Amino acid sequence: MSHTPERVLVGSLQKFSIEDGPGIRTTIFLKGCPLSCKWCHNPELIDSRQQLIQSPNNCIGCGCCVTACPQSAVALEPSAGIIIDRAKCDICLQCADQCYAKALRPVAKLMSIEEILRIAGQDKGFYDNTGGGITVSGGEILMHGEFVKRLVREAGEQGINVCLDTSGFGDSHVLKDLALAENVTDILYDMKSIDNEVHKACTGVGNQLIIANLRMLAEDEKILDKLTMRMPLIKDINDSQDIILRTGELYQELGIKRVTLLPYHDLGISKQRNIGGRQESFQPPTAERLSEIEAYFRDEINLKVEILGRV
Amino acid sequence: MLTPRVERMREKYFDTIPQITAERLVLATEAYQRFAGDAVPIFRAKVVNHIMENMTTLILDDELIVGTATNVYRGANLHPEFQSSSWYISDIDDFSTREKDPYYISPEDKETILETLKYWEGKSMEDLAETAMPAKIQELEKDDIICVGLENGVSGETTCDHEKILTVGIKGYMEECQKNIDNLLPQTMEEQAKVDFWKACVIQCQGLITYAHRMADEAEKMATECADEKRKQELLTIAENCRVVPENPPRTFQQALQAIWFVHVYFYIEVCTTACGFGRFDQYMWPFYKKDVIDEKNITREEALEMLECLYLKTCEVYEVRDNWYATAFAGYPMWQILVVGGQTPDGKDATNDLSYLCLEAADDLQVKQPVMALRVWEETPEDLIQFGCRMVQEGQANPGFFNDNAAIPISLGKGRGSTIEEARDWTIVGCIQPGPGGGGTDGSPDAGYVNMGKMIEFVLHNGVDPATGKLMGLETGDPREFQDIEEFKDALKKQIIHHYSLIRTGYNLMQSIHMNRYPVIFASMVTKGCVESGKSVQHGGAQYSTCGLYVTGPANLADSIAAVEKCVFEDKDLTMDELIKACDSNFEGQERLRQLLLNKPEKFGNNSAHVDAIYKEMMTYIADTVQEWQDARGGWYAFGIDSQTMNIPHGQVTGALPDGRLAGEPFCDAASPMMGRDINGPTATVKSVASMVSEALHEGALYNLRFDPNGVQGEAGRNIIEGVVKTYFEDGGQHIQINVVDNETLKKAQKKPEDYKGLMVRVAGYMAYFTELDKSAQDAIIYRTPHLSQN
Repeated sequence: MSHTPERVLVGSLQKFSIEDGPGIRTTIFLKGCPLSCKWCHNPELIDSRQQLIQSPNNCIGCGCCVTACPQSAVALEPSAGIIIDRAKCDICLQCADQCYAKALRPVAKLMSIEEILRIAGQDKGFYDNTGGGITVSGGEILMHGEFVKRLVREAGEQGINVCLDTSGFGDSHVLKDLALAENVTDILYDMKSIDNEVHKACTGVGNQLIIANLRMLAEDEKILDKLTMRMPLIKDINDSQDIILRTGELYQELGIKRVTLLPYHDLGISKQRNIGGRQESFQPPTAERLSEIEAYFRDEINLKVEILGRV
Repeated sequence: MLTPRVERMREKYFDTIPQITAERLVLATEAYQRFAGDAVPIFRAKVVNHIMENMTTLILDDELIVGTATNVYRGANLHPEFQSSSWYISDIDDFSTREKDPYYISPEDKETILETLKYWEGKSMEDLAETAMPAKIQELEKDDIICVGLENGVSGETTCDHEKILTVGIKGYMEECQKNIDNLLPQTMEEQAKVDFWKACVIQCQGLITYAHRMADEAEKMATECADEKRKQELLTIAENCRVVPENPPRTFQQALQAIWFVHVYFYIEVCTTACGFGRFDQYMWPFYKKDVIDEKNITREEALEMLECLYLKTCEVYEVRDNWYATAFAGYPMWQILVVGGQTPDGKDATNDLSYLCLEAADDLQVKQPVMALRVWEETPEDLIQFGCRMVQEGQANPGFFNDNAAIPISLGKGRGSTIEEARDWTIVGCIQPGPGGGGTDGSPDAGYVNMGKMIEFVLHNGVDPATGKLMGLETGDPREFQDIEEFKDALKKQIIHHYSLIRTGYNLMQSIHMNRYPVIFASMVTKGCVESGKSVQHGGAQYSTCGLYVTGPANLADSIAAVEKCVFEDKDLTMDELIKACDSNFEGQERLRQLLLNKPEKFGNNSAHVDAIYKEMMTYIADTVQEWQDARGGWYAFGIDSQTMNIPHGQVTGALPDGRLAGEPFCDAASPMMGRDINGPTATVKSVASMVSEALHEGALYNLRFDPNGVQGEAGRNIIEGVVKTYFEDGGQHIQINVVDNETLKKAQKKPEDYKGLMVRVAGYMAYFTELDKSAQDAIIYRTPHLSQN
C-alpha cells in the first residue's frame, strides 16, 4: 500500500500560465527532481527538501536576518548585501520570518491537495472559457506520484482538466495511470537529449527509462493524442544535427504529433545563485539553427512545432 | 485598408497641432452685448444663433462629411461664458508650450483674444462659482481633497435621441416646439419658462439650419471653382446634403451621417461640452445603411466604410480647452465620444448587424482616438464580433472597450428608477463608461465630484486634521489611538467619506442652481428625450432620466490601508496606531522595514483574496447605497461609480504616505484597478478581485483597465486568452473592461522619441489618448500599471 503524503512542498502556484498547455492555466510547481539538468530554469525545485532563497533586489539592508539567525549563518556585507553560509544554515527560516521585504524566503510551502485546489479552483471560469486547466509541473511530478494521482482525481471531481509536465523519469505504472486519467488532456514530455551519453552528462541520469516510458505512453492511441514533446535546446550541447535527426526518427516511429522547442535562456543562473549555488552559462541555438530545427520537425517529420520561452 | 482619401486626411490630422482660435469668442462677445435683456433661454439661443450665422464655413479637402466647430482645422473654441477669462489670460502664453494638452495660438488671435476678454472679466460661470461657493468647499477643492463639477463647464454628457433626429429632422422639433407654444398661454412663472424654452429651441434650430445652408452655399461655390470633376461632384453632393439635413430627415446613408455630425458639432459650438456620445450608432443608422448598401445598392460597403471613416475623423477635430489642473486630471485631450455597437435590442434579441462590424472596421482601419468604441457583449453576441474586438486590442489598439449587458441592464433599471426593461436593454453609455437607460432620454450630468480617499484616511488618522497643512479640514472622527478594533476605524472612514460627498452635493446643487438660471443648454436639451415634452432644459430636469455622478480616487488604497491597519495594528499588533501615524507622517523616513511589513504582510486588493476584496466591496457599496439616495437640484439622482480618470495623479500628489505602504506623492490606483504593483498573482486573480466588488449597486459602473504584455497574448491562442479573460470577467458580473496590450519597452521608447510613436494609443480612463500627448506623470502612471505577462 503506497502512502500518500498529506502535504507536499509546492514552489508556487502560478496563475495565468499560458505557455504550459492550452488556454489559461494555473501551474503547480512541486519541489524535488531526480534530474539535475545543468541549464535547469527552476533549480530551486531540484532538491526535494525545503531551502532558503534570496531575492537580493528586495533587500533593504535592515540586517534583521543577521540577528535572527541562531546559527550565525547570515552576514550583511556593505558591498555584497546578505551572505549566507549555507554550510551552517539549517533552514530554520527564522531569518525569513523577520525579512519583511521578502529578500529571504523559503523556496516552497507545504500544501495539501485541498489548499492547492482551493486556489487553483478560483480560476475555473478562465479554464472553462479558454480550454485551460491546471498544469502539474516541477521539479518532477513523478517524485510525488501518489499525491499527483490524487490531485488529478480530485481536480477531475471539480471539473478541472489537467496537463502533466514531466521529464518521464519515474515509475512507469504511475505515469501510465496518470496519463490515462480522463481529465488529463495534455502531457508535456521532456526530451533533453536522445543521446544517452549527452543526457547523462547534462542531467545526471541516463535516458533509457525516459525513452522506455515514452514508448509505453505512445503505444496507447489515447495517450499519444495528449503528448507534446518539449525540447530545451542548448547550443552545442543538444542541438547537433545528429541528435535532432535521431530525435526526429524516434518521433516518427512513435507517431508523435507535436513538439515545442524551448531555446535556452539563462534565468536559472540567478535563481541557482540565490539558493547558494552556481550554474554554468550556456547559449541558445543561433536563430538560424533554431529555424532549421523548426523546419525539420515541421516539414520532414510533419509535426506541429511551437517555439516558446524566448526571453 | 484606408482609401487614399482617408489616408491623406489621417496624415493631415496627425500633422496638425490643435489650435485655439478667437472666432467664437469674438462672435459670442458681440452677441452678448447685442442681445442682453432677453429672457435667459432666448438670450442664450440668440447668442448661439448669431455665431451660426457668422462663423466661418470651413470645408476641407477630401471631406465627405462637413462641419467644424471653429474656423480652423483641429481648432478649439473659447467659451468665456463658462470658463474664466482670468486663466485664459494668465495661461495664454503657456498654452502652446505647456506639457499637458498644449494648443497653438496665432499671434493675431492672441491679440484679439486678449482684447476681447476684457469684456468678460468676472462674468463667467467659473467666476460666479468662485463667489458663490462656500469658502470651506473651495478650500477643500484647492487642497485636492474633493473636486466639485460644473464650476467651469456645462453638464455635458449629451447622449441624445439620434433616432428621432433622423426620423423627424430638426424641422420636426421646430414644429413640435411651435405647436407647444401655440397651445400654451402662460399663466404662471413655470408656464412662461416653458414657452421661453420652446422659443429658444426654435431660434437655435434656425441657427443650425442657417449654418447648414451656409455650408451648402460654400460647397456650391467651391464646386464652381473646382477643376477636378470628381471632387466637384462630391462638393455638389455635400451641398445637396446640407440643404436636406439636418432640417429634414435624411434620405441616404451619407445624409444620415451628415445629420448626426451637424447635431454633434453644434453641441461644441453652443457650449463647452464633452462626452457627447454617439449612442447605439449601429442601431439607429441601420435603416439607412440597409437601404443604401444592401437593398438598393446605391453605394458599396466600401463606400459606406469610407464615409464612416470621414465621420470618425471629424470627431477627432473637437476640443474642450482645459486649465492646467484639469489637463492633468483629464489628460490627453479626452472628449469621451463613445460609439456603442452590439448588445441586444429592446425586445431582447441580439442587435448585431453588418454595421456593427463596419463600425469596428472603421476604427480598426483608422486607429485614431475618437470616437471610442464600446462593444456590448451578451450571451448571443456573435463569436466573430467579439473576436474582432479581441483582435483589435491584441494588436495594441486599446479599442474597443468591452461592456457587459448582464451588468448594465440591472444597473439601468436601478438607476433609471422606473425605466422599463425595454429601455434598460436599450442602454447606452452616458459619459465614458456609465450605463444609462436607452432611447436618448438620459442626462447624466457628469462629474458632480470626486473624493480623495487617501485624504480620508489621513483625516481619520489625524482626527480631521490634514497633516499636509495642519488645518482642521475634515470631520473630527475621534482620536484613532483610542479605536478598539477595525470596525471603529472603518466607521470613522465611512463618516469622513460621506461627509465629504455631502459637501460635494452642497456645492454641486448650488452650481446646478446657477446653471439653471443662467446657462440652460438649449439645443442639446431639445434633442434629449423628455425636454421638449416637459418644456424644460436638462439643467431643469427636463430629461426623461436625470442623474449625476459621484466618483472616487484611490479606492484600492483605501481597502489596502484598512486591511493593513486590521492586520498589523489590531490583529498581529506589529505596531501601535500611534507608531503607524508617525510612520506615515514621516513618509516612512528611516522606517523602510516597517513599510515593507505593511506592503507585504497584509493582503492587497487585486489578488483574489476574499478578505480584502470584501473590505473593498463593503466600502464602495456603503458609499453607493448612501449617496444614491440623494437628489440633485433638479430632482435627478446621484449615482456612484469607480472611475478616477487621471485624477489619481494630482490627488496622489498631495497625499502623504498611507498605511498600505504607498509613499507620499505617489499616484493612487487607477480607477477600479488594484494599486500599481500590488497585484502580484497575475491578471486572472486581479480580474476576479475587481469582478467581486462590481455590482449593480454602483449606478455609474466601474472602470477597469487591464494591461497585458504583448509577449503573453500573441497569435490565435493569445486572442482566445484575451477573450477568455473578458468573458470570465463578465460571467462574474464585471461591467466594463478595457485592455491595453503594450510592453514597457515600447512605452519607454515612445517617451523618449515621441515623433516615432505619434499613433500609439493607450486607454487612459474611459477614453483613449495618444501616449505621446500625455505629460510625463501620466505616462509614468501607465508604465507602472502592472503589465501582466506569463512567466516560466
